[in-house]
Amino acid sequence: MSAQALLSVRDLRVTYASSAGDVPAVRGVDFELARGETLGLAGESGCGKSSVAGALLRLLPATTKVTGEVLLDGEDVLALRPERLRAVRWTELAIIFQGALHTLNPVKRVGWQIGEAISTHQQSASARDVRRRVGDLLETVGIPARRIDDYPHQLSGGQRQRVLIALALACEPSLLIADEPTTALDVMVQAQVLKLLQDLQRDLGLAMIFITHDLSTLASVCQRLAVMYAGRIVEEGRSDEVFEAPRHPYTAALAAAFPIIGDERFRMAPSGLGGDPPDPRVLPSGCSFHPRCAVAQSECPTVDIELRTAGPGRRAACVRVGAAG
Amino acid sequence: MSSPDAPLLEVRGLHVQFGGRHGAVARAVDGVDLEVREGEVLALVGESGCGKTTLARTILGLERPHAGEIRYEGTPLDYGTGSLRRYRRRVQMIFQDPTGALNPRQTIYEAVAEGLRIQGSSGDEEARVVNALARSGLRPPERFLQLYPYEVSGGQRQRIVIAGAMVLEPRLLVADEPVSSLDASVRGEILQLMLGLVRETGVAILVVTHDLGLAWNIANRVAVMYLGRIVEQGTTEELLADPRHPYTQALLSVVPEKERLEPQILTGEAPDPTRIPAGCRFHPRCPLVQSGEAARLGVEERCSNEDLALSSVRGAAARSQHAAACHALL
Repeated sequence: MSAQALLSVRDLRVTYASSAGDVPAVRGVDFELARGETLGLAGESGCGKSSVAGALLRLLPATTKVTGEVLLDGEDVLALRPERLRAVRWTELAIIFQGALHTLNPVKRVGWQIGEAISTHQQSASARDVRRRVGDLLETVGIPARRIDDYPHQLSGGQRQRVLIALALACEPSLLIADEPTTALDVMVQAQVLKLLQDLQRDLGLAMIFITHDLSTLASVCQRLAVMYAGRIVEEGRSDEVFEAPRHPYTAALAAAFPIIGDERFRMAPSGLGGDPPDPRVLPSGCSFHPRCAVAQSECPTVDIELRTAGPGRRAACVRVGAAG
Repeated sequence: MSSPDAPLLEVRGLHVQFGGRHGAVARAVDGVDLEVREGEVLALVGESGCGKTTLARTILGLERPHAGEIRYEGTPLDYGTGSLRRYRRRVQMIFQDPTGALNPRQTIYEAVAEGLRIQGSSGDEEARVVNALARSGLRPPERFLQLYPYEVSGGQRQRIVIAGAMVLEPRLLVADEPVSSLDASVRGEILQLMLGLVRETGVAILVVTHDLGLAWNIANRVAVMYLGRIVEQGTTEELLADPRHPYTQALLSVVPEKERLEPQILTGEAPDPTRIPAGCRFHPRCPLVQSGEAARLGVEERCSNEDLALSSVRGAAARSQHAAACHALL
């Protein structure tokens, strides 16, 4: 498994420096991703999911302490020199952020913005080649190539998100990270963008990491799911299994937050979770989920539970999951 | 008081227009009839730009209709300052983003008491604030009074906004996407609170949302809006279990939980209220037209030329109010 993993993350820790002291946002995360595989990273605000993405791309502020190992095709991203890192960022690993409105430069034509990424990394490419490639990329993401000279404001929200996807694909990366790629979009546009990402993933054999708090979206798009809480992965496995038969009580609460329409159990019965996500500076003792857990046991406030085997290809960090596995 | 069967709020033939860019007129609300009854939760569902927020704002008296009217307990809305203020004691708004809705320099006590002061309410202000906070699930309420919004969580902020609305003991809450900016686990808590308020105080809620799951969670009835018009309405069970309008069917098919449905992803963005198509306003995006089904049924001509209103759905139960606006259903 490890030998052929495209991405291998070992004991990743991210600690932000703040005037009020260290903020441990990611506290030891391990996962692997094979070529062409899709992984969903789920969790609520402050759980550390976007910090994981930031660490993988080394986009975090210089004062942030990042430790552990991130092997991309065998190369340790955390140890890369700046020039190599720049090359890797586009040609191996690309990211689509949420909020397409703010990522594009408003005073540059969209075609120019995509072309710049290509010519920076392929200096041999002629201007005509770059323009043709940009046109192809726009068509790939479902925007007519004649829009190449449009400015971002001439495009709709959904089209701008498509431009960002084209930009991420410009240098043919093998891994695409999508951080809340559809959050600000409308339902129908959201469905269009998700379908586009799924098609691209399949057609180009891309590996993908999807990040969002919407477990139901992840379950429909990703092969595997990892659920984060308070800076750690608390459950992982095949996405249909994790979504339909969660082993960690937090995953169960997240899954129930998105009702199944037509299912009587959810009719006039919204399901929530008491309390709020913990402040990473003052994490609860033991299992950090225990203050919000409906099925907490006497040892939960004291015993810090690591991920353990919870069936074939599944792991969960809960004392109720048989330690023997 | 009107008779128990009369709706609390009635919207009749409502049109709201805005001057668009290049002089084009945006017909944001383009002929809407809607009722909200005492103590019910009505979900108004649609994509951005369908006019649902404009409709909500017009109901609150924040926009003036170009034609048609709003009736509260049978009386047309009067836009005089005094009457509008009295109306807003009865009809309160909850906004999408609780952080933006709260003044960062006001304590929670001041935020909740503000409505009482604007209304010039007499009586024990503190007792009413404490009661509203407790009712909104902020317990013990005394602990929150002197805190500032930044000192509480996002979910608690939305509870404060709800307490600020409930302190006036309104009969109707208009909630615009009340949980869309909240985390998944907090979402259910706020929806439970809203449902609890309906049960305990009999307040009615008009909830504006794009989220059909939310409707299944808390709404008695659903109205689906498309380009300024209600295109289908009915009880939540009728509408979500047996959607008739192709637009409702498409919206439902892209909900990720509904994996059993073949997703009907409509092409293009939500359309433009400055250029409402002739005929059925949905026909340029309609899967029935695109698949040739409308032609097979012999209605395609009418789809592109004849505008139409809601009519009762065939085969619906006798007292059902399930209605849709689609030529293929007539």
